[in-house]
Amino acid sequence: MLTVLGIVVGIFALTVLGGLSARLNQQVKGARDWFTSAITVVPSGGSLFGGEGKYFELSKAKEIEAVPGVKSAAAGIGVMVGDSGGFSFGAPDLIIGTDMSRSGDLLKKLAVGQGRIIQPGERGKVVLGSNLAEKLNAKAGGKVDLKGVPFEVIGIYRPTLSAPDQFAFVSYEDAINLFRKANPFFQARNIAGVIYVLPDPGVNAETLSSRIAAAVGSVRVISPAEAEKQISQFSLIFNAILLGIALIALIVGGLSIINTMVMSVSERTREIGLKKAVGAETRTILGEYLLESAMIGLLGGLVGTGAGIVIIAILNQVTVAKQVTVFTVRPLVIIGPIIFATILGALAGILPALRAARLNPVESLKED
Amino acid sequence: MSLIETKDLSKIYGAGESEVRAVDGLSLEIDKGEFLAITGPSGSGKSTLLNLLGCLDIPTSGNVYIDGADTSRLSSAELTRVRREKVGFVFQEFNLLPVMTALENVKLPLHYLGVASKEREVRASESLAKVGLERRARNRATELSGGEKQRVAIARALVTNPALVLAEEPTGELDTTNTCRIIEIMRVLNGELGQTFAIVTHDPMVAKYAMRVISLRDGKVDTDEKQDAAVPACDDNKTI
Repeated sequence: MLTVLGIVVGIFALTVLGGLSARLNQQVKGARDWFTSAITVVPSGGSLFGGEGKYFELSKAKEIEAVPGVKSAAAGIGVMVGDSGGFSFGAPDLIIGTDMSRSGDLLKKLAVGQGRIIQPGERGKVVLGSNLAEKLNAKAGGKVDLKGVPFEVIGIYRPTLSAPDQFAFVSYEDAINLFRKANPFFQARNIAGVIYVLPDPGVNAETLSSRIAAAVGSVRVISPAEAEKQISQFSLIFNAILLGIALIALIVGGLSIINTMVMSVSERTREIGLKKAVGAETRTILGEYLLESAMIGLLGGLVGTGAGIVIIAILNQVTVAKQVTVFTVRPLVIIGPIIFATILGALAGILPALRAARLNPVESLKED
Repeated sequence: MSLIETKDLSKIYGAGESEVRAVDGLSLEIDKGEFLAITGPSGSGKSTLLNLLGCLDIPTSGNVYIDGADTSRLSSAELTRVRREKVGFVFQEFNLLPVMTALENVKLPLHYLGVASKEREVRASESLAKVGLERRARNRATELSGGEKQRVAIARALVTNPALVLAEEPTGELDTTNTCRIIEIMRVLNGELGQTFAIVTHDPMVAKYAMRVISLRDGKVDTDEKQDAAVPACDDNKTI
């Protein structure tokens, strides 16, 4: 029983850390998928993720749209849903206000799960990304408060496992109002924080990016390739953290399993000696202990993973209030540790069993 | 024909200066149905001899014949087969598996002998009945007293109906009453079933009730005497 507990502890750690790792991975990948799907134009000096407090005139969108090869240029302004200054992995929760008459093409990339999207000219309405909808416990047709302002939820996007899952899409005008509310000293009028550009079919996004940069002044054009590069740099540290967590989880879980199995089988050297004395063949004994170790590993894996999932669910419940999801449960997070525990348990059990079974029964019967 | 015969049997541990001749050129014969006590001071080679007779160990030189077959040059797998089919063991520390019931402990050798499940149950129950423990069949080994444990161990040794039962200090951890009872059980079963018992012991009481007492010294037979011993009469009210 203590053996199973030891494995449970290891697998529990593996599952929880695995969930954390899967979540981080998903966030980074989500940010990448979204930002590399279009050309992002930001004020010069700005970056892919904004946050420098730089804005440009809304009219830049028209200038960009005039560049040959541009299909649409949707100006947007982002306002953080939570308090500004909060830290989040990957894509933050954002209220995105875009020019609905122009952003249609961009938003078509997102599939609506419930309800519909905002039509040009509509005010006080919001379409939520799937994660944000879940956090705010919102349904199409319901109401949500964004920074103290009530909005009618008219639609919810299907999960994309990318940045827009955390976004709330509102009309540009609504976003500007929220922006003014959040920044009372900022005399914002007709400003945009970002312009998303989609190229015409067949137009290379990279060459179009250079063309926009040449044609439109005082902007920074981030092509998909550059976005990829920026995110890669940004995610390098995350990848290192992920790898570290995964290694720690594997080592903690693995050592815990190996230790408990080796201990428990070694303690039974005498038992193995007795079985040999009464006529059990070495391979019969190995078969018995292999099966038993695998079953203990499996049981420990099941219980440990179960406990891990429960804890992940509880922690997620707690952190949802702060609008952060820390863990993600993926099939790999569940199945991986169970298989790991079973195989490692079997291997860790079979080695001391092999040692004991090879001993002369006289020797093994002497051991305590 | 004798059941067991050893010819110039030796078991040597270590080499050179530290060489220990635990059993040293020992030859003896044991007939079918004998009740034999092997005594002698510590280090006289009793245990080593028992291990060699029981195919738990292989000799350095010389031969052991069981039922006329030489076992001294067999592989470990072949020795396992001989043990399984011909030998039952009773140990000083009982060596029952603690998580198992008395009945399951007795069934264990039958399992390795490939006996079918139903027959195992029947034979193990019969064997437990022979040692008077049928009522304790469903008790775990840890719930039994020392005397009961050793009786379960005897039932386990007898369940495969082996030609030879080897016991090492079977009464070493028991009080006088239980010692008497264990000897009585072994003597009665020896009489009824005709199995050969060889018991390594320090206990003068065991030697007193044996039909033949071999005393070893320095790995050799010192004395070898047959005696007409009675089955002990134990006070049944006081047992267990």
